[in-house]
Amino acid sequence: MKNALHRMNPSVKFLAITICMFTMAFFFDPWTPLVFWVGVLVLQFFFSEIDWKKWLLFMLPFFVTAFGYFWTTLVFAEDGSGSVVWSIWNLQITETQLNHALSLSFRVLAFSSLSLLFALTTNPVTFILSLMQQLKLSPKIAYGVMVGYQFLPVLKDEFILIGQAHRLRGASEEKNTLQRLLGVRRILIPMLAGAVRKAERAAFAMEARGFTGERRSSYFRVISIGKVDAALVILFLFVLVLSCTHIWWLG
Amino acid sequence: MLFHARKRVRLVHEVIHFDKVSFRYPDEEKWILDELSFTVKRGERIVITGPSGCGKTTLLYICNRLYPDNCDGILSGSVKLFGKNNSSFIPGEINHRIATVFQDPDSQFCMQTVEEELAFTLENLHVKRDEMENRIRDVLALTDLTEFRYAVIQKLSGGQKQRIATACALIMKPEVLLLDEPLSHLDPFTAKKYVEWLDELQKKYAMTIVAIEHRLDLWGDFFERSISLNKNEIAPVLIKRESSKQKNDSLVVDKLQANTYLQETSFTLKRGEVAVLAGPNGSGKTTLLKALCKLIPSSGTVEPKLVGYVPQSPEFLFLTKKVQDEVGFGGGNNTEEMIARLQLLPIADSHPFAVSHGQKRRVAIAAMLSDGREVILMDEPTSGQDAKALSELFQLIDERAREGTTFLIVTHDMEFANCLADSILLMKDGQLTGKFDADIVWSDEQLLMDHHLLPPKEVIHREKCFA
Amino acid sequence: MLKSWKLKEIVLMSLFAVVFGIVYLLFLHVGNIWAGFIGPIAYEWIFGIWFIVSIICMYIIRKPGAAVVSETIAAAIEVLLGNAVGPRLILSGVIQGLGAEAVFAATRYKRFDLWVLMLAGVGSSIFSFVYGYFLGGFSVYGTGYVALMLGIRILSGAMIAGMGGKAVADGLLATGSLRGYAISRSKKGEARA
Ligand SMILES: Nc1ncnc2c1ncn2[C@@H]1O[C@H](COP(=O)(O)OP(=O)(O)OP(=O)(O)O)[C@@H](O)[C@H]1O
Ligand SMILES: Nc1ncnc2c1ncn2[C@@H]1O[C@H](COP(=O)(O)OP(=O)(O)OP(=O)(O)O)[C@@H](O)[C@H]1O
Ligand SMILES: [Mg+2]
Ligand SMILES: [Mg+2]
Repeated sequence: MKNALHRMNPSVKFLAITICMFTMAFFFDPWTPLVFWVGVLVLQFFFSEIDWKKWLLFMLPFFVTAFGYFWTTLVFAEDGSGSVVWSIWNLQITETQLNHALSLSFRVLAFSSLSLLFALTTNPVTFILSLMQQLKLSPKIAYGVMVGYQFLPVLKDEFILIGQAHRLRGASEEKNTLQRLLGVRRILIPMLAGAVRKAERAAFAMEARGFTGERRSSYFRVISIGKVDAALVILFLFVLVLSCTHIWWLG
Repeated sequence: MLFHARKRVRLVHEVIHFDKVSFRYPDEEKWILDELSFTVKRGERIVITGPSGCGKTTLLYICNRLYPDNCDGILSGSVKLFGKNNSSFIPGEINHRIATVFQDPDSQFCMQTVEEELAFTLENLHVKRDEMENRIRDVLALTDLTEFRYAVIQKLSGGQKQRIATACALIMKPEVLLLDEPLSHLDPFTAKKYVEWLDELQKKYAMTIVAIEHRLDLWGDFFERSISLNKNEIAPVLIKRESSKQKNDSLVVDKLQANTYLQETSFTLKRGEVAVLAGPNGSGKTTLLKALCKLIPSSGTVEPKLVGYVPQSPEFLFLTKKVQDEVGFGGGNNTEEMIARLQLLPIADSHPFAVSHGQKRRVAIAAMLSDGREVILMDEPTSGQDAKALSELFQLIDERAREGTTFLIVTHDMEFANCLADSILLMKDGQLTGKFDADIVWSDEQLLMDHHLLPPKEVIHREKCFA
Repeated sequence: MLKSWKLKEIVLMSLFAVVFGIVYLLFLHVGNIWAGFIGPIAYEWIFGIWFIVSIICMYIIRKPGAAVVSETIAAAIEVLLGNAVGPRLILSGVIQGLGAEAVFAATRYKRFDLWVLMLAGVGSSIFSFVYGYFLGGFSVYGTGYVALMLGIRILSGAMIAGMGGKAVADGLLATGSLRGYAISRSKKGEARA
């Protein structure tokens, strides 16, 4: 039971999450995203086995962003109607503004935890296989992405290695952030050149193994849809409906 | 049994037939293959030889029909596969019957684990699901790779990847097996085992085998016939060099240790000394070199701080847009001379990425030398090089060593090591076993066996004479 | 559409998506931190970087769909990398890609000079802004602030994605590794013409 979210069909999970996000975009009061955010956390608590420390680490930047949204909305929001609830220096903050600000911040939090829920409970390879089997993604694209994913750790190592090899040659060391970002450019070309070569060879190897990009008649790993998926979709929708109708039950 | 259920095909005696085939790349004027004609018969064992860059890999790509479609190349003459014109096959059809193992072990896989990669191949062949499990199990047993079934491919060493690529080719039950320098990353012992194993396999299933190889000596009498793309090259023979070792120390390594794999290592090299670092696949040779020039985090001390390093893919080092600038980057004062002596003059204005592999390596060496590095580390400079490039490299190292540069060279080529080395460093399981004189290593069987080495041919011949 | 695509072109896009996925993530962290101090406008300056892969791939491959497909794959790879923006990002990728694709389609995939590439960057900017306006709830901001955001994003799209993308692809072309792709064939053709 505890690992239900991990076992959920990735395509179904993907669709459920996308529907939730788009529904959320229509609400501008603070309560809907807040209730939804809490709902997502509860779901995640009961039906997943994620590492919460890691979760917190990933969430941290989004707390900062949420705060950024909060104060900029207060200052720049257009709709200044409603009674004034706060007054700092010559800045009058009305109820509407405060509500919008809170709403946007909670929306950031709700969206990012929903996304994290997906990222932390989904195996990328399973996701791609499921996209191909359930959502009829073209195998050409699916396996193309799979190759990219497979080279990910290699390219990550290369990124570091090239930088260090350049230092070995005596290229100047960058100190501030801006210089470092510009320095990325010098690493980029060798990396891309390597990527072009790898891409060509990997594609040749795939074709040599008889890959033509046509649909396959059978899969070694079948990704199925089952009862767990139905149950979880109902739970997601329940949380969604609950948060959208909070007016009735919160008063 | 792996190969019993072969598709019913009309048995044709001539498997590959080239008649006056010429080929060139769309943006080049020069014909890579020029009016080439040959025939390969069913069950034959053929080797294709020729100097680096003469078009061997290109030829292979034409045999399995990757070219000309994939590069818009221009092909003339007639290519017949299994008695049919090569353009009459539908896409993918020919690849079910001709399997290929490519040159580069690092980029010929598209899935993460060995099992998934094998399953990918079977899915392409539209094999039924209940059959897959058996075929995967069988091929892994056959190739002795069962322990790697769930291994992540990118984490394996070069030699292991090469064997897995072979398993992927065999699971297709091919009629023809094409191999592109399959031994170039294997340690000598594994290479020998690979040949024996291929020999058994061929006898059992009567496959046709076409291989590309620079170093025929590793194969014994495996091949029946050779097709030479050789354009009248006479391969110079390497002659054992005289030691140029001087008195004072040049490279001093003390208690070096890196990540979890490399154990504590201490050794010294003298000025002008040429040392070879050898050991089995995955023993940590590359890791040690990287630690020596601080490319990976490590503890311990290395003197001098700045050492030269020529990695397996030299592109990583290049910073500028011209070979000339590249060599002069470190501000050396003998750039011109270096370029001339390393025969880089014709490409002095080219982009360092755009020259051939052997040239790239020479550019990297030139850059390191003109930066004034006293110690130079090289990672497998011999793999995939033809005899001419090898002898050039040999001469270059010899010259520079006599001028006082110290070299540490990783190689699986024992003949090269024998001619070149003043001393041999052996490595095993992340640990440096010790520093030995070459002759001691060749005569100590236990030592050789422990480190997956074989004595060079010359030494064997000499012993035979004495016996 | 996919029929005319070679496998090596698709794998190339996928590997570029990985390389830029790493770069994007680097920039996302920079953007996130700034956003804490100066609000969502922090992203606008560097927004162009998120369109760069579609422009580079289209410039190299020159086939209908190259912009949308590459940007979508890049977004998917970023999600797989563990970007907390999550599955929603894939849709952003599609929309950004469509913006660039629209401009290339308008030239019937015939012209690939600097102006067209910069315009493609602008196209991505506008498409993505409309999408962000809806999903990010920008409608609560004042008109002036929204106009400022849009202006900066367009500038960033034209400069970073358009000019930057061309510079990177041209740099790569000079290394000679792109032979066998449409970009080097056209260069040859131009030289002969
Ligand atoms: N896509 C390409 N476009 C243009 N030229 C190419 C292309 N691929 C290879 N070449 C050139 O064609 C020549 C033959 O290359 P090929 O890879 O077939 O050589 P090879 O005999 O396999 O060499 P090696 O032994 O070093 O592997 C080389 O000079 C190479 O630079
Ligand atoms: N990126 C990596 N991630 C995990 N393990 C690695 C990585 N690179 C190397 N290793 C492991 O470290 C060990 C030493 O690898 P190294 O590349 O140093 O071997 P080597 O002696 O150079 O082998 P070869 O002769 O095959 O090149 C191997 O067991 C290898 O599996
Ligand atoms: Mg070759
Ligand atoms: Mg190595």
